[in-house]
Amino acid sequence: MTPATAGAAQRRKIRVLIAKVGLDGHDVGARVVARGLLDAGMEVIYTGLRRTTEDVVRAAIEEDVDWIGVSILSGAHQVLLPKLRRLLDEAEAGDIRIIAGGIIPQEDIPALCENGVSQVFLSGTSIAEIVDYLMRESAPQSKDMT
Amino acid sequence: MNVFKPKGDFDAASFDSGKDVAAESARWLKEAFAPARGSAPDRKKFLTDTGVPIEPLYTPAHLDRIGFDYLRDLGFPGEYPFTRGDRPGMNRTDPFVVSAYAGYGDAEASNARFKRLLDVGAEQILVALDLPTQCGYDSDHEMAAAEVGNVGVAIDTLADMEIMFDGIRADSVKRIGTLGNSIGPIVLAQYAALGEKQGVPWDRYTVNLQNDPLKEYIARGTQILPPAPAAKLAADCVGWCAEHAPHWSPMTVCVNHINAGGAGSSMGTAIALANVRHYLDLLLARGHSIDQVAPLLHMFPDERHDFFVSIANLRALRRIWARLMKESYGAKSPEAMACKTTVYGHGQEALAEPLNNIPRTAFGTLAYMLGGASYIYLAGYDEAVSTPNENSARVALRTLQIIANEHGFADAIDPLGGSYYVETLTAQIEKQILDGMAQIERVGGALPVISTGFGRRVMTEGAVRRQRAIDSGDRPWVTVNMWKQKPNVPNTAFRGDAQAAERQLARLAQVKANRDQARVKAALAEVERATAEDRNTVPSVLEAVRAYVTEGEIVDIWRRQFGTFVPSTDF
Repeated sequence: MTPATAGAAQRRKIRVLIAKVGLDGHDVGARVVARGLLDAGMEVIYTGLRRTTEDVVRAAIEEDVDWIGVSILSGAHQVLLPKLRRLLDEAEAGDIRIIAGGIIPQEDIPALCENGVSQVFLSGTSIAEIVDYLMRESAPQSKDMT
Repeated sequence: MNVFKPKGDFDAASFDSGKDVAAESARWLKEAFAPARGSAPDRKKFLTDTGVPIEPLYTPAHLDRIGFDYLRDLGFPGEYPFTRGDRPGMNRTDPFVVSAYAGYGDAEASNARFKRLLDVGAEQILVALDLPTQCGYDSDHEMAAAEVGNVGVAIDTLADMEIMFDGIRADSVKRIGTLGNSIGPIVLAQYAALGEKQGVPWDRYTVNLQNDPLKEYIARGTQILPPAPAAKLAADCVGWCAEHAPHWSPMTVCVNHINAGGAGSSMGTAIALANVRHYLDLLLARGHSIDQVAPLLHMFPDERHDFFVSIANLRALRRIWARLMKESYGAKSPEAMACKTTVYGHGQEALAEPLNNIPRTAFGTLAYMLGGASYIYLAGYDEAVSTPNENSARVALRTLQIIANEHGFADAIDPLGGSYYVETLTAQIEKQILDGMAQIERVGGALPVISTGFGRRVMTEGAVRRQRAIDSGDRPWVTVNMWKQKPNVPNTAFRGDAQAAERQLARLAQVKANRDQARVKAALAEVERATAEDRNTVPSVLEAVRAYVTEGEIVDIWRRQFGTFVPSTDF
């Protein structure tokens, strides 16, 4: 752990909402990532299946999370992820960042990143890689506890 | 004359020397194998995904250890306890059915795809439905936005069925059907009404449905209602077929998704068998006999990690099923005791270098064939990331045909029967499944597996264990943890067909505008009454389907009467 991340961890644990949006019912990946982040010392909430983007935004604000991790395997990412970003921004929760995982074509990733998704992790990514990313990216911008 | 004579004590006498195989095996392990193995660490963990340690060599001593008794444990194909096969001739006379799972976009697009698959030699079509259809939403529902036609075909009304099977008579294939796990009575009615429209009587074709809602709550995720009413609707389909189409297979109880989700094939089989018991108990409570309904249920076993476990699992499953039906349910007919199996060939498919998934899925499928599966599908090499493209669907069918016809794979029945290894593993897997069943009994059966979180817990724990085995290299995976390559998701992945979705919306609007509205209203009222009065729902749903009532209109009635499932937020 770098001094910066150690400091961030002291201030506040990273809070992550793992979300399933739309009708896609495959949530093993989402649950394994949720367990992995929990084991890495983060606070993790899981939305359960079949949530609307509105449900996710509401849960993210209520739970005061730093990150939303969206798992999508059904091909609806191009619609649902930008919509999630827009709803967050409209709810003045622009500081909540989005990562996505699952089956997302390479070609679509740049457009998603331009539309407010911070990072895309494809199936097969190790848990350690996701943990490292969240630790690193949370450090300088972690929410102030005051 | 130069006659070969064995030297030393290698002669007939040594075979009757009274040497004990177990003692000799122990000697070999110590004196020959251990030095050869040396002190280097094992190159992998010799442990099945289900947790059985694999020994370096199996001998008759292992058969002694499991108390192997040929007539009791194996018997003969098509005879109790059906270990060697559910039918007498197996692949020798009655080859497994080469099956294709397909469907995307709208009915038109799927019709063209099916015709091409039939040209390649598919003998059975199982229709992949899109998520809105599977979850009980019409294509014009707001929850369907962005999902119409993505992972399968959108079917809203009988009109879609007519187009999808235009030029494909229901009796021109060995079986026809779909998954429809949470909408069983509706899909059953659609396939019954399709025969009526085509002028093919029900006894002339065979409909196969998955129609297994209970596993959706822990594994697959298309649940609509709470588990108890969902199971009842599914059982209605079996009850209706028992009366009207007893040779159909209206329920395929799945290990597949439960195993893939992390439970492992042994616990997955135990959970699926608990689900079987729940459905059967509902049917018996409705007055059906076990001999009448058990033959209508098929199993969908699954094992994708270990070739020999896959074979052992199918053999053990048939043995357990036979004993369960005979001893616990008092079945008398062999048809009720013979477990018929549908399988879907997979391997550890990877995202990197997808063509490597062709050998992976071929080996996985070969294991299923050697284990004696009756109906076999094979995953497209690109299936992890998309509905199979034209080319991968063709390769999958050809691979099945090669396995069925080349190499002599299918010449002798149960060719691995009697193998020290396979029989030992079959007994070990059988014990794992029986232990799992006992554990589930303590939890309280199929519904508590869902409500107590037991099912999801074993799945998440198993999935985490698998992830660790991959991350650590204990479970070798070429291009993932050996000769690593970057995963790649092609741009074709689950790409919705916007034109097909538009066609679907237009067709739905047209059907709704042009149907006989009085008949629709009366049919919906009857669905409402039949459901409320706890009658078998299929007759009322069949009349509604005939009247071009939409799927969503029927499901809305069920949602109102039974409520909807509450998604679990446990992980």
